[in-house]
Amino acid sequence: MSPSSKITGVDGASLSACIVNIAERGDREAFARLFSHFAPRVKSYLMRLGAVPEAAEELAQETLLTVWRRAAAFDPTRAAASTWIFTIARNLRIDLSRREARGVPADDPSQHDSGPAAPDDALSSVEDEDRISRALATLPKEQAQVVALAFFADKPHSEIARDLGLPLGTVKSRLRLAMSRLRGALAERRP
Amino acid sequence: MSPLHHPDDSLLVDYATGALDAGARMVIGAHLGACPGCSTTVAEAEAVGGALMSTLPAATMSPDALALALARIERPAPAEPTPLDGPADWIAVPTEVVRAATRRRRWAAPGVWVAPISQRPGGARSYLLRVGAGMSVPRHTHRGAEMILVLKGCYVDGDIRHGPGDFAVNDDSVDHQPRAIGEVECVCLISADSALVPRDWVGRLFQPFVGI
Ligand SMILES: [Zn+2]
Repeated sequence: MSPSSKITGVDGASLSACIVNIAERGDREAFARLFSHFAPRVKSYLMRLGAVPEAAEELAQETLLTVWRRAAAFDPTRAAASTWIFTIARNLRIDLSRREARGVPADDPSQHDSGPAAPDDALSSVEDEDRISRALATLPKEQAQVVALAFFADKPHSEIARDLGLPLGTVKSRLRLAMSRLRGALAERRP
Repeated sequence: MSPLHHPDDSLLVDYATGALDAGARMVIGAHLGACPGCSTTVAEAEAVGGALMSTLPAATMSPDALALALARIERPAPAEPTPLDGPADWIAVPTEVVRAATRRRRWAAPGVWVAPISQRPGGARSYLLRVGAGMSVPRHTHRGAEMILVLKGCYVDGDIRHGPGDFAVNDDSVDHQPRAIGEVECVCLISADSALVPRDWVGRLFQPFVGI
């Protein structure tokens, strides 16, 4: 393992290494690097979902604080740093909206993150993230639109269909096509 | 053994994006704990979410954001609540479900108990339902949709058998009377948009006691 001073870029591998360094020795420099890269993007993501800037920034702070505290649970062979941090931000957002909705703390039901590993644990390595990014860029416009709405509009399929004035089946099939194309990109490297 | 009946891909993507309501999220989350295949599909969708988030333009943070974050990580972390384990012969469920099972179960009829987990003002509810081996629930249909996951045992609905980890969605197009089969009780985790609609006198008699 190289010392954190050697980690200079913001490519996926060095971001994953930052989380590992936090887990292994409480590396504050690695945390600062992760924060600078991800906090503004988590804030963007939450603002896309309708959060006001102050609330989005606070949740971005909490997301990165959770990264610090749970770094030991991160497995770089199972997920890219961006994937893991996305799920933390998503879960915090869900917890917050549930607390606001009913005024009581809620258990997080999405424990599968720490559950048994899927058999194919090579799924979400760093190259996968690059493959997905490249594949996203090549999606047909109507598929890319549905993917973006699904992730950035906090809407289930049925509401996306209503907003676009499309039949539910059309939205489902566009998303299915997009996901299978993205999955195909992941499968490329597998023999 | 892996489950045989799974949520469709669009529900799994809705799970990954965070668009499901709390009850559906809980039921599908419990399925994922028991189903490596669906977990992989969700992980793939989450990887798409992470990649999309990475492509967003960086928002402007407050000038003292990093200093604040560095100060926060020095504070001791609050103790995390210890998760409660459910019975060893159930599919793994979150603590709120275990707590409902131990604290809020009430017998509704011989062999049948119900444990409410949550109930929302609009009528959406989640609960556990236990039916003794060989017993049926009263014939009924649904207003809106219902998601159901077997935690233990088996039931048959028509001629389809559902065992541990199996997932099903029912809506107002079904009119059914599921029956627990096999040697052991059947325990299910259920999330519904609203109350059941009983289709016979047994059900109408049964429903006021259980409120499901
Ligand atoms: Zn499944």
